[in-house]
Amino acid sequence: MIKVEGLYKTLGDQPVLENINLDVNQGEIVAVLGLSGAGKTVLLKHLIGLVQPDKGRVIVNGVDFTSLSEEEMLKVRCEMGYLFQEGALYDFMDVYDNVAFPLKEHTGLKAAEISARVREVLKLVDLEGVEAKMPSELSGGMKKRVGLARAIVLGAKVLLCDEPTSGLDPIRSRDISDLIRHVSRQIGSATVLTSHDVGNSFRIANRLLIINDCRIAAEGTARQLKESKEPFVQEFLQAATS
Amino acid sequence: MTARLLKSIYEHLHSLGEAIFFLREILYLTVRGRVRWQEVWAQVYEQGVGSIIIVMLTSLATGTVLGLQGLITLQRFGAKEFIARLVALSLVRELGPVFTALIFSGKAGAGITAELGTMSTNDQILATRAMGVDPLEFLVVPRFLACFLALPILVIISEFLGIAGGYMIAVTQAHTTGEFYIHETLQAVGYVDFFSGFIKVFFFAVIIGWICCYQGFFTRGGATGVGRFTTKAVAYSYIAVIVSNAVLTKIILTFWG
Repeated sequence: MIKVEGLYKTLGDQPVLENINLDVNQGEIVAVLGLSGAGKTVLLKHLIGLVQPDKGRVIVNGVDFTSLSEEEMLKVRCEMGYLFQEGALYDFMDVYDNVAFPLKEHTGLKAAEISARVREVLKLVDLEGVEAKMPSELSGGMKKRVGLARAIVLGAKVLLCDEPTSGLDPIRSRDISDLIRHVSRQIGSATVLTSHDVGNSFRIANRLLIINDCRIAAEGTARQLKESKEPFVQEFLQAATS
Repeated sequence: MTARLLKSIYEHLHSLGEAIFFLREILYLTVRGRVRWQEVWAQVYEQGVGSIIIVMLTSLATGTVLGLQGLITLQRFGAKEFIARLVALSLVRELGPVFTALIFSGKAGAGITAELGTMSTNDQILATRAMGVDPLEFLVVPRFLACFLALPILVIISEFLGIAGGYMIAVTQAHTTGEFYIHETLQAVGYVDFFSGFIKVFFFAVIIGWICCYQGFFTRGGATGVGRFTTKAVAYSYIAVIVSNAVLTKIILTFWG
């Protein structure tokens, strides 16, 4: 589903990503961990074509992003869902219109069908009855759940979540992590999430990778990472669990 | 020192190039018919109706002051009956379009930049692209076109109220009759006078829409950035309106007298 080959990216004079290789299969959840500013979000933005690599390729659903124009990219993105850190909901639309937006833009569904689909995904993220609320009336956790509902409303084959648990208390973090796992299974998407939340990432991800010094320092299952002899990985995991 | 100067010049030229490309994209989308008219009318309402009270008040006050000052000067030459012509021609040829454009830029233009700027810093613009929608088409073109549609209407309202302000002074201070004032105004303002001023409004609308949308779309730096870019947008719009007015006036006077 997602394939990254030899990706390099420099922002200004600062190298951010070097020789990143990644494969994510359908139904798999991959968590990208690393220090703040390690390039996790930049990597995620490459996966949806919001940032173009200096070198290397990003192939999603068999489509090589590096060869597409922005107009072609817009069409490809309809099959992908992206959950932004703060939800990035339109603050001039209520919850219903935010979630319905991709449906109105990309499908020819009638109003009743759109309404049914919006209610279905809001139920999936456990947010029934908030359709008329404005984003400013929602808590941080609710905004993320609405953002998740909007990301999956078209049935995304690829789901990308940027720090879905940042700024949330431990219980909400656990809930949103479980929700992402539940939703990914329901829609069968290839899911990549970035996070600092080691505990929840270990719990829900099939595979994890840690980025350090612009490169992938370690990759594997939770158990493999815990057993890693890499000094940075040891330090990172110890700091996260202490 | 020289290196810093060259870097600054390079950055300004780069920004100018980026802004020109931005305008080209907006015009390209408009010409291709990728216009969301429902959004456009919503923006016309927001920008036009939102600015109407301030435009009415300032226009009425401007017409009144113009009448008062004009009356003092004209009385010295025993020509107070020309007050209607003075007020009407000043407003229609120059003050109406320029004042309204400046007020519009400070009210609606600042609103556009602040709104787009907040969306930019909150990732809403990026989210639009991530959802497969062109943010220029969805967010910028409607605001740009709304400037183009709302400003001319506001200018006409402004000119009427400015003339009404002059009317009040003429009737109460210069003791001319209302009929005489209206007759003199209609006699004074020809097509050339009206359109030589009115044609400039469309240039001002493009300038304000372009600058304010561009500054908002590329806002960075959180809440501080929104404030900084909004201030910059209004300042640039003011300068651009005043300077372009001088150039346009010279061109219009050369060809149209």
